[in-house]
Amino acid sequence: MMTEADYYALFDAYRQGELEMPARLNLERRLAADPVLAQRFAEFEDVTSTLSGYGHRLNTRRKLRAIQAEIDAEQAVKLHSDEEVLETGHPTMPTLHISRTEQKLREFWQSHRATMMVAASVAVMAVFTTLLGIEWWRASQKPSLYGYTVLRREVERIKRTQRAMNRAIQGQGDTPEAAKEGKFSGTGFALTSDGYLVTSYHVIQGADSLLIEGRDQQRFRAEPVFTDVAHDLAILRIKDKSFRSFGRLPYSFKRGTADLGEKVYTLGYPREDLVFNDGSLSARSGFEGDSAFYQISIPVNPGNSGGPLLDERGNLIGIISGRQMDVQSAAFATKSSYLMRLVDSLSAAGAGHPYTLPRGNQLAGSSRPNQIRKLQDYVFVVKVYE
Amino acid sequence: MAKATASYSYTDDEFVAAIRCGDDRALAQLYRLHLPMISHYVLQNSGTEDEAKDVYQEGIMVFYEKVRDGSLELSCQIKTYLYAVCRRLWLKRLTEKTRFGGHLDDHEPYLETGAEADLVEAEERDRRFATMSEALDLIGEPCRSLLEGFYLLDKSMQQLTAEFGYTNADNAKNQKYKCLVRLKKLFFTNYQESEP
Repeated sequence: MMTEADYYALFDAYRQGELEMPARLNLERRLAADPVLAQRFAEFEDVTSTLSGYGHRLNTRRKLRAIQAEIDAEQAVKLHSDEEVLETGHPTMPTLHISRTEQKLREFWQSHRATMMVAASVAVMAVFTTLLGIEWWRASQKPSLYGYTVLRREVERIKRTQRAMNRAIQGQGDTPEAAKEGKFSGTGFALTSDGYLVTSYHVIQGADSLLIEGRDQQRFRAEPVFTDVAHDLAILRIKDKSFRSFGRLPYSFKRGTADLGEKVYTLGYPREDLVFNDGSLSARSGFEGDSAFYQISIPVNPGNSGGPLLDERGNLIGIISGRQMDVQSAAFATKSSYLMRLVDSLSAAGAGHPYTLPRGNQLAGSSRPNQIRKLQDYVFVVKVYE
Repeated sequence: MAKATASYSYTDDEFVAAIRCGDDRALAQLYRLHLPMISHYVLQNSGTEDEAKDVYQEGIMVFYEKVRDGSLELSCQIKTYLYAVCRRLWLKRLTEKTRFGGHLDDHEPYLETGAEADLVEAEERDRRFATMSEALDLIGEPCRSLLEGFYLLDKSMQQLTAEFGYTNADNAKNQKYKCLVRLKKLFFTNYQESEP
């Protein structure tokens, strides 16, 4: 009976071809006939062939390393003495000779290229978003306090829809004047019959030129004469030579303070057309207790700024200035007494023309539509070009 | 040496024939012939010189073992075959490095060379050899040296008896048998465990 060790010895001999012919044939026959033996042989063969294959691989790897080392050595020599070029060298590949630092930089760039590009684009986007955001915020918040919004109208935004409407109505190209639309607009009204007007300071703030436009499409160029930032007032004068006079003003200016609860109304240009709004005088102080202003309960919109505020008898008691965003229908108007004080001080200083304010009041006693009919020719759009 | 090998250029068939017969000079020349191509390729695709050498040696190894096996069926030039093999190998390495998110910069259209199948086979073989290497590490001395001497270095039993100081060849044989059984056991368990 053969032990397993004997079998292994036999297998070893068989693998190395040391067996005599009859013993060899005998073993092969037994392998074919005996599946247990065949299995044992297969396992043996598996291990030993892997073992020797592993040996061969180690051997080959050594050989390849040696070849590579030889090539490296040759290259090192060649770098020192530029003698002959070997056929198996690099002649077909144009090689770039770069310094060690540059090599490092290139490797770094190649491996981190994608990440760096993503980072760069994120940075660029962040910068632009921030800049645009700040610009937008500044533009919208510039003249106002917290919660307080001035009411000059940004024309650009509305212009597009307006044009589209014009085109639809007229069926052809829009008027050439449309291209000259100002950037902002507000409302203004006549102060004297000889060409002085009043509007809010924030309407003309930063203006390069001003254009006054009446209800009947007549236009005048104007210039600011005096501004009062604290009370949000501006006095303009019409520059045009062709301008003669507004005619007699139908309203008068109130020097005192109006009473609480008085019915008041205003005219203005929040749209392209004259708009009437009314309400009551709700408080004798303005935003955060500012005593130069009234609080009124008139729904006002961007573009109403600088509009006249009149009481029932047709006395001008204020100039529309702004509204509070977080309070329902709280608008503010500069008190007319401050306007009067301003006009008086200008007259006293004696600069330019004297201000001849209207004396009489033609509106008292007439119905509101009549008042408005008389009034509407003295209320203007103030267009601001920056 | 370099000049001697450079003086004679083999054709592809001659290369295969010579390497099958174990001609180391043919192997060396083949190695030199295609090294620039692969190293250029790897360098172009965000690799270093050392990585290029590694990949190339691995590729040559796949080719060499197929040739020695006699199982190589070359349907294209050796150059193309090596290119395909090394390309696959490099792609794998890049994926392992996980930095790879782009497109490989190829010089030649990638041909169907049979390299894919050969590589799958080579991977299996790598796994076997890795397991074997582990098993050899585990069985310890003197088993390791004994088995390596007999199966790797093809030493005779007499030589080993003398080297390891056994009293007679039968003792050595018996010892070798025990070692082989242990190796077999280790190898098969590890190999099955590492099955992917």
